[in-house]
Amino acid sequence: MSKTTGNTRTGFYICHCGTNIAGTVDVEKVVDYVSKLPNVVVAKHYKYMCSDPGQEMIQKDIRDQNLNRLVVAACSPFLHERTFRNVASQAGLNQFFFQMVNTREQNAWVHLDALASTEKAIDLARSAIFRVAFHKPLEQKKVPIHPGVLVVGGGIAGIHASLTLANAGKKVFLVEREPTIGGHMAMFDKTFPTLDCAACILTPKMSSVKNHPNITMWTYSEIESVDGYVGNFKVNVKKKPRYIIEDLCVGCLDCIDACVYKEPRFFDEFNQGLSKRKPVYIPFPQATPQLVVIDPETCIDFKSNKCKKTCVDVCERKAIDLNQQPEHKEIEVGTIIVATGFKPFDASGVPYYGYGVYPNVYTALEVERLINASGPTSGEVVMRDGSRPEKIAIIHCVGSRDKNTNLWCSRVCCLYSLKLAHLLKEHTHADIYNFYIDIRTPGKMMEEFYYRMAEEGTKFIRGRVADIYPDLTDEVHRRLIVKAEDTLISEIIKVPVDMVVLSTGLEPRADANDVRRMFNITCSTEGFFIERHPKLAPVNTFTDGIFLAGCCQGPKDIPDTVAQAGAAAAEALALIDSGFIELEPNTAFVVEVDCSGCKSCVPLCPYSAISYQEDKKKAYINEALCKGCGTCVASCPSGSIKQNLFEDEEIYSEIDGILNYTNIYEVSECC
Amino acid sequence: MATDIEGIKSVTLETIYDTPEGKLIQSCIQCGTCAGACPHGEYMDYPPRRIIKMLQHGLIEKVFETDSMLKCVNCYACMVKCPREIHLTEVILQLVKEQTIIRLPAVPPELQKALENNYRYGNPMGESGRKRANWVTTSSVPVRILSQNPEPVDVLWFVESYPSYHPRGQDTCRALAKILNALEIDFAILGNEEKSAGECGMLSYESGLAEALVDYNMSVFAKYKFNKMITTDPHALDAFNYRYKLYDFGYEAQHAILFIMQYHDRLKPLLKKTLGYSVTYHDSCCLGRHNKFYDEPRQLLQLIPGIKLVEMVHNRLNSICCGGGGGGMWLDTYFKSQNMERLSDIRVKEAIETGADILAVACPYEIPRFEDALKVAGYDKKIAVKDIVELVSESMED
Amino acid sequence: MLLDENKSQSGSQGWQPKIIAFFCNWCTYTAADLAGVSRIKHAPNARVIRVMCSGRVDPQFILDSFAKGADGVLVGGCHPGDCHYQEGNYKCLRRFQLFKRVVESFGINKDRLRLEWISASEGDKVRLVINDMVAKVKALGPLSLPKKFSEWDKEMNIIEEKIAGKEEAVHA
Repeated sequence: MSKTTGNTRTGFYICHCGTNIAGTVDVEKVVDYVSKLPNVVVAKHYKYMCSDPGQEMIQKDIRDQNLNRLVVAACSPFLHERTFRNVASQAGLNQFFFQMVNTREQNAWVHLDALASTEKAIDLARSAIFRVAFHKPLEQKKVPIHPGVLVVGGGIAGIHASLTLANAGKKVFLVEREPTIGGHMAMFDKTFPTLDCAACILTPKMSSVKNHPNITMWTYSEIESVDGYVGNFKVNVKKKPRYIIEDLCVGCLDCIDACVYKEPRFFDEFNQGLSKRKPVYIPFPQATPQLVVIDPETCIDFKSNKCKKTCVDVCERKAIDLNQQPEHKEIEVGTIIVATGFKPFDASGVPYYGYGVYPNVYTALEVERLINASGPTSGEVVMRDGSRPEKIAIIHCVGSRDKNTNLWCSRVCCLYSLKLAHLLKEHTHADIYNFYIDIRTPGKMMEEFYYRMAEEGTKFIRGRVADIYPDLTDEVHRRLIVKAEDTLISEIIKVPVDMVVLSTGLEPRADANDVRRMFNITCSTEGFFIERHPKLAPVNTFTDGIFLAGCCQGPKDIPDTVAQAGAAAAEALALIDSGFIELEPNTAFVVEVDCSGCKSCVPLCPYSAISYQEDKKKAYINEALCKGCGTCVASCPSGSIKQNLFEDEEIYSEIDGILNYTNIYEVSECC
Repeated sequence: MATDIEGIKSVTLETIYDTPEGKLIQSCIQCGTCAGACPHGEYMDYPPRRIIKMLQHGLIEKVFETDSMLKCVNCYACMVKCPREIHLTEVILQLVKEQTIIRLPAVPPELQKALENNYRYGNPMGESGRKRANWVTTSSVPVRILSQNPEPVDVLWFVESYPSYHPRGQDTCRALAKILNALEIDFAILGNEEKSAGECGMLSYESGLAEALVDYNMSVFAKYKFNKMITTDPHALDAFNYRYKLYDFGYEAQHAILFIMQYHDRLKPLLKKTLGYSVTYHDSCCLGRHNKFYDEPRQLLQLIPGIKLVEMVHNRLNSICCGGGGGGMWLDTYFKSQNMERLSDIRVKEAIETGADILAVACPYEIPRFEDALKVAGYDKKIAVKDIVELVSESMED
Repeated sequence: MLLDENKSQSGSQGWQPKIIAFFCNWCTYTAADLAGVSRIKHAPNARVIRVMCSGRVDPQFILDSFAKGADGVLVGGCHPGDCHYQEGNYKCLRRFQLFKRVVESFGINKDRLRLEWISASEGDKVRLVINDMVAKVKALGPLSLPKKFSEWDKEMNIIEEKIAGKEEAVHA
C-alpha cells in the first residue's frame, strides 16, 4: 500500500440541502468528526452547497487555506458532481482532486433512523477523505462530435426533432420502420383540445421532412446495429425491400389498380383492419414518401411465382422490381434521438369488455379511423353491420390504472375520450355515455375543453365498467349492456348501447427491450425508456449523445411530445455546436514495466481496445477505444493495468475509510 | 364457542390493517368495479366499494351492521377484476361477512339449519353419517373404503357431502369411480368417516365450526397413508389448498378433472362412444376465477368424440356464479324474500340461449341448482345439466 | 479453522453489521439513487462504493473488505444482457462463482457475500436485497476478522516467545 504523497490539505463540506439531508443526518456531528481526521484542514456544513454562496465559500477556502483536495457530501454525483468539479477547477485545483459523497439519495432519503444515518454519513465521509488523498490530476479527453444526427422513428416526435435539427443546418438521418412517416398522429382525426385536424397540421411537416435538403429519410427501414460512442456512432441501417425502385416511382398508383386482385382483400394496417387493401398498396393518401409498397406476405408472385405481374406491366417507368433485395447502409453520426413511440394496449387484454367478441365494441383508434374523412367509411360513423349508433358508451382507462394490465395512467385517454365524445356526437347525434374513474385534464386549455364537452350534453358516469354483454331479452337490437356502479349515486346501472368505444392506454412497444439494448440505454420494467433525470435531464439517457423524444419515454400528448422532441434536438445541437465533448478520463492504461505479457486481458475487452505488442511482449490499451469499464484491471494477474479515477489504491482507501481501518498507514509502509 | 365469538367480535380496523391483504384497501381508487362485477351488487345497500370506503373512514361498526355481505356468494368476480388486486373475496369480504352474521339478530333459518347439520352430522343436509358411503353399493366398479381396508393407497378421493347424498351427485360419483377404475388408478374413499370439508362453513361465517371440521378431517387423514388427494368439489378443493394448509395439511389437493386430464393419453382411446352433443360449460367460481383453471375442463370435454363446445355470453373469468357459494346454497329463501333474482335462473337463460344440448358443470352444487332453475323456468326438456365426468363416463360406454 | 465462528458474539448488544456494496455506475448505483428519489426506506447498513462496472470488482477488493472488518460484501451489476459495457457483468459473474467457493473454503459463510443484478429501474429491489442481506448477516453475527487476526497474532507471538524462551534455556 503506497502512502499518499506530499502535503495533503483536504476541505470537507456537507450540504444540508434544506432539510433534505440535515433533517435526518446530524451534519454538525459529521463536521465535528471529520475535522479531527488527518489531512482535513477545513470542515464545514452549509444550507445549500450548490448555491452561489456555497460554491464561493468553497472556492475561497481553497484559495485561502491552500486546499489541494475537496470532498463534498451532498446529493448524488449524478446530479452535482460536475458542479463541484467546476468549483474546484475555477479555484485553480485540478477538478479530479475532488470526491463526492452521496448523502441524500443513498442516505438521508432512504433511512429513518437519524443515528444510523449520521453514522453512515461519517463512514462515507471518512471513506472519501481517505480516497481523495490518492487522487491524481487528470485531463479530460476531448472528442470531436460528428455533426450528423440519427433520428429513430418518424412519428411526430421524430419529425419535429428532424426538422428542428435540419433547419439549424445539421445533417439528419431519419429512419422509420413503416412504409410511411407520420406515426400514430397520422391516424388521428382531430386533436384535442383545439380540435384542429391532425392531417392538416401533420402532413405539411411530413412533406417538409421529405423535401428538406438536410434530411435523409429512410422509410421501411430498421436499425441493425449501433457501435461507437458519443460524437462517433457507427450505425447500420437495413432498408427492407419495398419492391419498388424509389427513384423511378412517381406515386401514380396505377399499379394498385392493375393488381390481379380486383378487390382489396387484406388487412389494412393503417385503418386498423376496418378496410381492406391489396398486396400492392399505399398506406394512406398523404403517405410520405408517396411510394407504393408490395407486401410479400400477400402478393401471389411471392407465394406461387405464378402471378401475371400486371402491376409490373402497367408501370410505364419500370419502377417495380420484384427481385429487390434488402439494402444495408452504414452511416456515421455524432448523436442519436430515439423516438420510437408507443403501442396501443391490446383491448382483448380485458376480456370482459368483449373486444374481438362483439363486433360493435371498438377501440378508440378504430373510431379515429371511422370518423376520419379519408378513413374506411369516408367519415361516416357506421358500424360493422352497417347500422348507425344511437347510443354510445366510451369506456375510459382500458388497460390503464389496473394492476392486472398496466398500472400507469396513460395520460391522454381522458382527453381523447372527451374529443371522441364530441366528434361522435357531431357525426351521429347519438347519446354518449363516458364511463370514467377520474377525469384527468391537466395542461393548458384542457379543463376548459372538458367543460365544453360537458356542456354539449355528454353524460358522465363515475364508475369503472365491470361487464359488457349483449342484451338477450332484446331480440331486435341485441344492444350491448354496459354494467357499472355509478359510484356517485351508489347504484348499479346497466346502460344499453349500440356501440362501445374502448379508450385503450399507451404501452411500450413490444420490442422496446431489443431497442434499448441496441442503443445501450435503460428502460423501466414495463419498457418505457428511462431519462437521465426525471426533472433535470428529461430527454437525456444514461448514454451520452443519445436522447429521447415522445412516447417511447412515457405516455404523453402531442404538445408535450413536440416540446420534448424540440428539447432533444436542442440537446443534440448543443453537443454538435460545441464541436467536441469532454469524456470522463476513467480509461485504463498498462504500466509496462509490470506487465508480464500473459495476454489474459486481451480477449476480455469488448471494444478490442487491448492489443499485444509482439515486439515489447507487453499489452497495450488504445485509449481512444477504451470506455473505462475496468474489467481488464480487475483481471490483470500482475496488477499492471490501472484505471484512472478507479485505481486500486483509491478503492482500497475507500474500503479503509468505510471500515475505519487506519492502522494500515501505521503498520505497512509498502506492499 | 361462546368465548370464541367474543374473540372474533373484537375485529378492529387495526387487525384489518395488520395483514398485508388488509392494508391493500388503502390503495382502493373507488372505481366501483367490485360493485358492478358483483352478481348481487344491485341488491346491496353497501356494495363492496362502499364498504371499503367506510372502512377507510373508520366506520367499521356501521359496516358490520349492514346485511349486505350476507348477499355475497363468494364468486370472486369482484376480486379478479379489481384494478388494485385487493383480496376482496379472500379476505376483506369474508371478514365483514363473519362480523355481519355474528351481529345479525337472527341467522336466516335455512342457513342456520345447514350449519347445525354440518356440526351434528358432518353434512349440511342433515343426512345420517352412516349412509355417506351408501352410493358405493350402486357403483358398477369396486370402490375401496379405507376404514374397511386401511392399506396405503395412491389417491384418496374426498367425495364431499353433495356427491355422497344427492341422487344426482351420486351419479357423478359412479361416473368418476368408473373412470378411475378404467384408468387403473389405485384409489379409495374415506366412506362414513368423511365429514364435510368445512369450506362453506368458514365462508358463510362460523370459523369455529370450520375449525372443528378441519380438526376432525385432519385426524382421519392422519390414520391412513396416501400420496395425493382428489375431489370433484371445487369448494372442498379450496378448503384443502387454502385453509387446511394452515393446519399442516401436507398434500396438494387436485380437482378430479385436472387429475383425469393428466392421463389424457390413456383416456383418449377409452372414449369410444361418439356423443353428438352441443355442450356449453359453466365455469365454477372456485375452479375458474379462484384457481384459473379455465382451459382444462374444456380440454377434457373436447377429448370426447362428437362434442361441440359452445360458449355462453359470460364465460371463463367473466362467468356468472350459480348462486350456491358463500352459503348461498342455503339462502335461496332469504334471497327470495329480498326480491332478488336467482343467479341460477339467469345462468340457465344464458345456457339456453347458446342452443346447447348439455350444460356441463364441474361443481356438485351446480347440478341441483341448475336443474331446479330449469324446472322453474319450464325449460327442462331443452337442455340437460351434467357433470363433465358424467359425460366422460358416458363416452366410455360401448 | 473456520473464520466464521461467532455464535457467542451474535447476540452482541447494539451491534450493527457493516456491509460494503460495490455497485456499478449504470444500473445498481442508479437504482440506489432511484430508491432515494422514491423514498424507499431500507436498512442503513450498506456502504456503497461506486465502480463503473461490476467487471471492475477485483476479488481482492472483497477479501480486503472482509479482512478489514466488513461483515458482508454485496456486488451489484446490470442484468445479464444489459451491461453498459456489453459483457462486464458476465466477467464479474464468472469470477464471482469461482471466488465464492474460495471464500466459503476460508470458512466465511456464503450469506456474507452476494451478487445481485439490479437494473436502473429496480429501486425497490435495492431495498429487498439490502434488507434481506442485512437480516441474514445479522443472524450470522459479526465476522470481525481484524480482531481475530490480532488475537491470532498475539497467540503466535506467545508461541514464538515460548520457543525463544526454550531456546534461551537450552543455550543457558
